[in-house]
Amino acid sequence: MSITPLRPRAGANSSDGPPVRLVTPGARNGAGMQDDNAIFRSVVMPHIDEAYRLARWLTANGTDAEDVVQDASLRAFRAIRSYAGGNPRAWLLSIVRNTAYSWLRKNRPATIVSVDDLEAVEREHAKPGENQDDTPEASLIAKVDAEQLRAAIAKLPAPFRETLVLRDIEGLDYREIAEATEVPIGTVMSRLARARRRLLEMLRQND
Amino acid sequence: MPPTGATAERSLPLGEPQMSRPKSDDSSVLLVHAYLDGELDPANALSVAQQMGQEPALAAEAEHVRGLQNLIRDRLPIEEAPPGLRARIESRIGTTRQPRATPSWMHSWGALAASIAVAAVLASGSTWLVASSQQKPVQVAELLVSDHIRSLMAPEPVDVVSSDRHTVKPWFNGRIANSPRVVDLAKDDFPLVGGRVDVIGRTPVATLVYRRAKHLISLTAAPADDAFAIGGPNSINGYNIVRWTENGVAYWAVSDVEAKELETFAQLFRTSRNEL
Repeated sequence: MSITPLRPRAGANSSDGPPVRLVTPGARNGAGMQDDNAIFRSVVMPHIDEAYRLARWLTANGTDAEDVVQDASLRAFRAIRSYAGGNPRAWLLSIVRNTAYSWLRKNRPATIVSVDDLEAVEREHAKPGENQDDTPEASLIAKVDAEQLRAAIAKLPAPFRETLVLRDIEGLDYREIAEATEVPIGTVMSRLARARRRLLEMLRQND
Repeated sequence: MPPTGATAERSLPLGEPQMSRPKSDDSSVLLVHAYLDGELDPANALSVAQQMGQEPALAAEAEHVRGLQNLIRDRLPIEEAPPGLRARIESRIGTTRQPRATPSWMHSWGALAASIAVAAVLASGSTWLVASSQQKPVQVAELLVSDHIRSLMAPEPVDVVSSDRHTVKPWFNGRIANSPRVVDLAKDDFPLVGGRVDVIGRTPVATLVYRRAKHLISLTAAPADDAFAIGGPNSINGYNIVRWTENGVAYWAVSDVEAKELETFAQLFRTSRNEL
């Protein structure tokens, strides 16, 4: 069975897509700055809530999340002309994500998982023998409160956490998540499945 | 808690209902998740639905995922951005409009400098800027001051952060046709901060950033041809500019340090032999 409909869209962050087009109305008629502001207002400002929530899940702190969103907004403004008219939310969230990871590397290097470590994490969670548990989901739902749920999501390794947050909290589709997290759709799918299983395991252990 | 089915996993003949749990990277599992997320086309969705009807393990997976999604939707409060965050962003973006003295088209060029990819597109000849191929000296100076101001407002004033000239110089290779001369002036209290690519007209140029106390100095190097004619004002909007030409390369130093200090910096840079 193939899953051909699922292919990442070539966008500003796609390395194999066509060259980024820079044509915006302002670039042609010379009214650059006015248009930059207008584009920023229509592309970035409507998604500040999502940007803040993602930053908060990644930094685990409201104040830090505000700093990250401010920096990310400035980066988005500087790069507004490289925004190629794709999905504005995915475009902004990819900038927020990169800003958050730069911020973490600088301010909390201990929390950053390197790519090598990440591969180990993925292997670890791909191992057979993941706990099976037939606890009916209804009873699970009755027990878990918001704080337990939040804490469990916060414990997920960052790549799993961001994928789950973008899908199950923010409601992005796979293609948008692939664009925002700069990985192929197949990776989004496997991270999502592992994130959900791992989260369910943690919630069951709360019993 | 019932015993785990891990030991039985994979031991059943294909096609028989599996009571054990397939691995999370099993494609049938991924497809169940994709099915619940509405990501499958009708043909694949039908096929997955049939598979779930035949394999209790997949049906259980679907039930678990649905339960989790409901849990998140029902229990997790959706937070909004704190009041004031939007206003702070708008005011920060608003400040990048300054200084008003420069024509608006210059800012768009400054914004381009933020992206190496964009510089590469420009260099490759994609044309969208309606610009004369020949920059007047005053325009070059104003563009460089704009780039300098913009870099001060950015999270990082440089694209590559390093006080080591052996790191900075190679970084420009492949980004800029001619990697600039990079010298170490740390012992003269002008430590190297890093480098970035600015764009003048259609040409990406190398800019080194040095520090003097709490001030930054942007030093841009470009081929000293007609397009980058030397000349123009010694200061714009309170930013001092020192320029010189050496071995066919035009240099502009832009900073808010005092003119005399900037002259000292230029002199040290020109005479230093501490280069790569």
